[in-house]
Amino acid sequence: MSEDKRTDRKGDLSGAVMVVGAGIAGMQCSLDLANAGFLVHLVDRDISIGGNMAQLDKTFPTNDCSTCMISPKLIDVASNPNIRILSRSEVTGLEGEPGDFKVKVHKAPRFIDLDVCSGCGECIKACPVEVPADFNLGLNKRKAIYRHFPQAIPSAFAIDKIGSSPCKVACPANVSAQGYVALIAQGRYKEALALVRRDNPLPAVCGRICTRPCESQCSRCDLDEPIAVRDLKKFLADWEVKQGEMDLPKVKEKRPEKIAVIGSGPAGLSAAYYLALEGYQPTIFEALPVAGGMLRVGIPAFRLPREVLEYEIDYIKAAGVEIRLNSPIGRELSLEDLREQGFEAVFMSVGAHKGLRLGVDGENLPGVLSGVDFLRQASLGRAACPGDRVVVLGGGNVAIDAARTALRLGSREVTILYRRTRHEMPAYEEEIEEALEEGIKIEYLVAPRRFIADGRQVNGLEVIGMELGEPDESGRRRPQPVAGSERVIPIDGAISAIGQEPDLDFLEPKTDLKADRRSRLLANPLTLQTSIPWVFAGGDAVTGPASAIEAIAMGKEAAISIGRYIRGEDLAAGRQREWSVAKVETKGLDKKSRRRPPLAEPTGRVRNFDEVVGVFDEAEAQAEAQRCLSCGVCSECYQCLEVCQAGAIRHDMSAQDIELRVGSLVLAPGFKPFDATQKPEYGYGRYPNVLTSLQFERVLSASGPFGGHVQRPSDGREPKRIAWIQCVGSRDASIGHDFCSYVCCMYATKQAIIAQEHAAGLEASIFYMDIRAQGKGFDRYYERAKKDHGVRYVRSMLSRVIEDPTSHDLEVQYFDEANNLVSERFDMVVLSVGLAPHPAAKALVEAVGVETDVFGFAKRQELNPLATSKEGVFVCGAFQAPRDIPDTVMQASGAAAEAGALLAQARGSEIRPEEFPPERDIRGEEPRIGVYVCHCGINIGGVVDVPAVVEYAKGLPHVVEAQEFLFTCSTDSQGQMARFIEEHQLNRVVVASCSPRTHESLFRDTLRRAGLNPYLFEMANIRDQCSWVHAKDHDAATAKAKDLVRMSVARAALLEPLHQFPAPVEQTALVIGGGPAGLTAALNLAEQGFYTHLVEKSDQLGGLARRLRRTLEGFDVQAWLSELEDKVRHNGLIKIHLQTEVVEIKGHVGQFKASLKSGDRVRSVAHGAVVVATGAEEYQPTEFLAQEDERVTTQLALHEALHGQGDPLAGVRDVVMIQCVGSRDEEHPYCSRICCSQAVANALRIKELNPDIEVTVLFRDIRTFSLKELYYKQARDKGVRFVRFDAERPPQVSPGAEGLEVLVFDQILGEWLSFRADRLVLSAAVRPNAETKHLAGALKLPLDSDGFFMEAHLKLRPVDFVNSGFFLAGGAHGPKFLEECISQAKAAAARAATILAQKEMMVGGEVAVVDGERCVACLTCVRSCPYGVPQLNEEGVVYIDPAACHGCGICASQCPRKLIQVQHHSDLQTLFKACHLRA
Amino acid sequence: MPRVSYYPGCSLEGTACDYADSIAGVAKALDIELVELPDWNCCGATAGHSINHRASLNLAARNLALSLGRPQPVVVPCALCFNRLRSAQAELAEDLSQVTPQIAALGTDFSQVEVVELNSYLSRPEMMDLIESRKVVNLEGLAPVCYYGCQGQRPPKVTGHPRAEDPQGMDRLLKRLGAQVIDWSFKTDCCGASHAIPRPDIVFTLVGRLYGKALEAGANCIVTGCQMCQANLDMYQTEIAKSMGREVYLPVLYFTELVGLALGLKEAPGWLKRHLVSAGPLLSKTGLPRQTWERL
Repeated sequence: MSEDKRTDRKGDLSGAVMVVGAGIAGMQCSLDLANAGFLVHLVDRDISIGGNMAQLDKTFPTNDCSTCMISPKLIDVASNPNIRILSRSEVTGLEGEPGDFKVKVHKAPRFIDLDVCSGCGECIKACPVEVPADFNLGLNKRKAIYRHFPQAIPSAFAIDKIGSSPCKVACPANVSAQGYVALIAQGRYKEALALVRRDNPLPAVCGRICTRPCESQCSRCDLDEPIAVRDLKKFLADWEVKQGEMDLPKVKEKRPEKIAVIGSGPAGLSAAYYLALEGYQPTIFEALPVAGGMLRVGIPAFRLPREVLEYEIDYIKAAGVEIRLNSPIGRELSLEDLREQGFEAVFMSVGAHKGLRLGVDGENLPGVLSGVDFLRQASLGRAACPGDRVVVLGGGNVAIDAARTALRLGSREVTILYRRTRHEMPAYEEEIEEALEEGIKIEYLVAPRRFIADGRQVNGLEVIGMELGEPDESGRRRPQPVAGSERVIPIDGAISAIGQEPDLDFLEPKTDLKADRRSRLLANPLTLQTSIPWVFAGGDAVTGPASAIEAIAMGKEAAISIGRYIRGEDLAAGRQREWSVAKVETKGLDKKSRRRPPLAEPTGRVRNFDEVVGVFDEAEAQAEAQRCLSCGVCSECYQCLEVCQAGAIRHDMSAQDIELRVGSLVLAPGFKPFDATQKPEYGYGRYPNVLTSLQFERVLSASGPFGGHVQRPSDGREPKRIAWIQCVGSRDASIGHDFCSYVCCMYATKQAIIAQEHAAGLEASIFYMDIRAQGKGFDRYYERAKKDHGVRYVRSMLSRVIEDPTSHDLEVQYFDEANNLVSERFDMVVLSVGLAPHPAAKALVEAVGVETDVFGFAKRQELNPLATSKEGVFVCGAFQAPRDIPDTVMQASGAAAEAGALLAQARGSEIRPEEFPPERDIRGEEPRIGVYVCHCGINIGGVVDVPAVVEYAKGLPHVVEAQEFLFTCSTDSQGQMARFIEEHQLNRVVVASCSPRTHESLFRDTLRRAGLNPYLFEMANIRDQCSWVHAKDHDAATAKAKDLVRMSVARAALLEPLHQFPAPVEQTALVIGGGPAGLTAALNLAEQGFYTHLVEKSDQLGGLARRLRRTLEGFDVQAWLSELEDKVRHNGLIKIHLQTEVVEIKGHVGQFKASLKSGDRVRSVAHGAVVVATGAEEYQPTEFLAQEDERVTTQLALHEALHGQGDPLAGVRDVVMIQCVGSRDEEHPYCSRICCSQAVANALRIKELNPDIEVTVLFRDIRTFSLKELYYKQARDKGVRFVRFDAERPPQVSPGAEGLEVLVFDQILGEWLSFRADRLVLSAAVRPNAETKHLAGALKLPLDSDGFFMEAHLKLRPVDFVNSGFFLAGGAHGPKFLEECISQAKAAAARAATILAQKEMMVGGEVAVVDGERCVACLTCVRSCPYGVPQLNEEGVVYIDPAACHGCGICASQCPRKLIQVQHHSDLQTLFKACHLRA
Repeated sequence: MPRVSYYPGCSLEGTACDYADSIAGVAKALDIELVELPDWNCCGATAGHSINHRASLNLAARNLALSLGRPQPVVVPCALCFNRLRSAQAELAEDLSQVTPQIAALGTDFSQVEVVELNSYLSRPEMMDLIESRKVVNLEGLAPVCYYGCQGQRPPKVTGHPRAEDPQGMDRLLKRLGAQVIDWSFKTDCCGASHAIPRPDIVFTLVGRLYGKALEAGANCIVTGCQMCQANLDMYQTEIAKSMGREVYLPVLYFTELVGLALGLKEAPGWLKRHLVSAGPLLSKTGLPRQTWERL
């Protein structure tokens, strides 16, 4: 990015940044940006932030709990007013220029209102749908409504809903079939039935006679057979009857309006019912003496028993529906009459009761009946046997019903004649089957020609044979008569059932009501309003003969229309629904056969009208319901709506596409663990006890699927032997993952250690190629694992895992180092899966327009590690290359620096300051203490009896209330705590949980938000100091927890409010060290707009980088360095001090004064923050003849020579390199990180210059981590030899006449190999330099045990010193590659910017104060303060500057007169606490 | 009625005529027309490809060329033939210049040829539906492990097999026919192949291990789709059992034979009769009809 562009742009710069991906990288980057004055939009596709780190149990190399580290970060992000979290969102497009981008974001619906959800979790209990828990990688199940873990941010729940289930969409009434099926599967019948009735008041009826459009669309149709939805519904309805208690409808407040419903069929009943629910007063006018319409008089009782229908009609009446029987509309009572009687609207649901005529001769003969008439008469008990030999004409359900009714009325021979084939027959398959079972005959391809009579009574039917021709408009093939096929069938009676239509004869001839040619009433299809505005119509009267469920659906819609009509609202608004239908992939799923209800015996059942089809018992119903594939995931059963007290559920939420303006983007989409099914030889997905490493993290985690108990998924047994297989999906060209995943060696080591802690006596074996422990403290950790924990490391790649199919034990075979074939059995195998770019990153890079490499990682841009191919878009974390958490955090801060530099001029333009409620004055109040005891999942609760501690706390003095929380740090617990503070007017709070180190600031914030001074807070650590250390003695741990709580309560009573005050910030930076890190940090700070002093000890800039020519990747270092130096020299905000040393820094964060010594001259500069970047140096070895033989050289010297002038390899035939010279030994037990890659780079360069030269690298482990692995492979491909040696038997070098002789002991051959060498190259260690040691003393900066600067926290604060205002970067922090120095330098700049961006910062609080009255100026404190803060003031007494004081308390403890007190840690408070150790 | 080309390969005309008969029987019962490639020749296997690569390539190429313009896919029952034809096809897709002019004259558009192993073909979803629809006997009581051998799916780059390490075809098919198929880890392990004659010790070790693992898994028979595997597992069972020092009784059956039994084919017992380890004692203990086992 060119300098000019940055300074040219003014005015139109946006002060906002979008960070995509909310893992640890995205969070850190957001925090640094927000704290430096930028508004951040933090976008993540998941429902909560935290990324992969949130899933980890512990972290290496400190074994810190990952959740404990990340939770405060999550809360920092959540509570930062300048960070806006967009969860479940994805970037879909980018336009504009750097500094002024427009980003399109697609927000998928969460179905829960983030601002309303209290996170109480009641909905989880109500939800019937279980799916594999993605957060636990399928090791257990979760509900369709869920959050990943209790501390999740946002803390609100979310619903997974792919769409509405196909059954629901197919149902005309849109009954949530998946929903009630899911509830049945759980045995929750009452809720299931209520759900059906929400959209269908006739479950018992539909459970018998519904046409089941739902089943036809069931996803299981693609696999085996649909779910028996109808039979399940019947089960539900009958279950209620069996219970004997009707679940009465809940009716809204009564309204005065009366509505007339004409006809009591399904449409009328449904309309009346839903009107009644709304409080209206519907009256049904029924012409017949019975209610139910076609349900009653069209469907025979053996399909729909009368008492079933009556029960449902009673249910509808119970809602407040009045039914008037024998009340036909017509001459006696016209529509107008109804109007006059005060009915505000009318719903016409008169059905279709008129049978269609055959149109053949003899149709009017006695003995020829219409099907509908016959069934009606039969239903009313008025029909006689239609004759001995009866034919039924037609192929629909009426025909079948009529035939079966005839049989039951005594006909001996019943034959159905149908003019097409069975294939076209519209009647239901099982009805046909049942009819055939009962002895009814069906003849196909025959049509009636005429009825023949013997006298008056019909006695024959002439029929003609048919054949099928071309398809007609119904899609069925049209039957055509076959000439000459006429014959006569002898009959005693005939029933014609070829269709029916509405009978509108009752209407006055001059009515305004309009109908079509087939007597169907005309109504608006959406609103059902007819040509008369106050008359609505539905059911068969409008559609012609159709199904009950369609009529019910129309009745329900009519009720909505009529309600709106009465209230004067728009009838149509918002009623067109567009469905998004969920459909599941059924490929590969197991078939499960559909349950069928029992049927009555055919011979017996034809003698009566008893119901033919039986009903499921409970077990069958549940088993059938469990076949459901949960297509939509969420079943829309609305149980969550019922239980959500907060009213946060929004089932109708839809996706949103928004556009945001930002100045820059930072991409941090992270990684996804390698899909282990791609390596089938290890059996992942097939063998239950083969887990991936991330699954194993969840197994270890207290909040994981097994509550932290290490057990085998196959049988729950605790494993005794676990094998880890390394490099699954890493260093493997066969699957296109040639790179090393960086973290696996260390996380496997950590998992082995932690697993042993969980399961005593566990044997852990790690199968590996090279152990890559190249990070800070990693090698020590690895050595500890071997020596202290007995973790077994086996150098061998396993070809496959074999399972014993009965015990599910696992067997592996391998060659050990002595080349013996060994076979071992394990209880569990953990696959150390590698890191791959997150699949979602693909869509992201397409939307944003940045380039990626072959693997999908962001393409590297020369020595600009945080840049992408698109200007203004930056990258950090594992999306750039596989890396660990500290490196990720460094890059994240670095990316924040990049964005900050780009948008420096817009800093502060879009943010708002954080606001707190006014603080309550508690002066004069008696202490009122609230105590909150944390379970910390099972961390505390699994050992300490938390309820007992709560009860105990309630009895302590001043305690007004005590509570327990599962996780006190979760946002909802915090919210509750704030409410308790207010409710009980608390003025002190005690939390008994984990460590104040991680959580005190969080709880203090809660107090501030609740209007309390944050210092009125006290914490009892009952985890680290109690449950963790006394895990085996629950009683003693509980007793100790009580002691700790009692002590804290005692101290809390004495707490006083403290106040901080603002101190101005000197917005200038000081950078110490002019190497690549120092230069980068200084330039970035200047670009961010901060004046910067750059101090360099020597007379030139560039440091060690001056000696580097090319990086391993081939980037030109000198070109980069001179450009950087040029920019630094020409930047007006940078003051370069060459040949200058920092002798002293006084003051405090925001207000430092440094003394810079140049020659004899000392000058003082003011600054607000310091970046220490003093570099490192190459060890000058003395071993291997290094100082004696000129053929022995170091990698750095060789590098210079190989890129220098002349022919550095003249006369050279053999080069031998020895790794780990001065590294990984007893004295220097750390890995120097860069030497393996240096060796590979030099070896490649040698091969480039002269391929004939033999290069041999003697190594212990080749640590070409991450993408550097590609070059290691390249070196092997080019013929570079790699020979391993053991630390115990190092190579031996002796001078020879024909070149040096290098002996190395080969493990496999078991003998010494000899190599000759013209050059012996030593991979010398990286060592801290003299400057580092000197500065550590002068500035009181901490060093680690290897002599490098020590960061504040290995994982999450890798560029901060504990000393506030001090930051570190580059080699002074530890061995590093150039690009890592650059990232870290930018990170340090970003961290410094969070201070420098503020005009003033708050100081004071927990600092030392002197009682000036009594001070005798003995100067003990002045001498003992490690920071030199106490000074004698003009009055001759000591003054301690509260802004400078670190609050360490040394002065207070040294003061002979005891007149210095550290506020909040006064002697009295401490004494009082100590005194309460004894109850 | 499916119509496919059929490449039987040499062994099905000799040592594996039992396999050939069961294939013919099953195909007939399923109305599958197997159209044998006219004038097919050696696939180029065994010694061929290690001695003269080009010759072996051309031998396979001729067979591929013969199938051009004929029904597809070309179904191959022998795993080795399948592997040769597929490997040659893959190699020729990169470089056609190795084909001799005489063979090139028959056609070179080998991308038109679809070579399919018999067990993959019969375990296609539609074929499984077809077989299941005609099933008359449930294979209940048979607890086989499916043994695919090494050539039918590896290397996946050549065969295109989606689960080369854990093939599923026979497992699924036999499950559909009612057998209690047992999953095991040795589906694609080596049987020792043609080492049976020069180095019987190797075959004994490898096959002995397969027996041991099959029994450990609870299997009562081994089902295979490769005549070489069948031979190695069937021929020396008594001897190998002796060397293992344990009882082994594991009939080694072709999957097509079991399909034949499930389809109720009268001739199926006749195929089984030709194996050295008699399936009789096993089948008599299952629920299978008497006529399937009484004469074995």
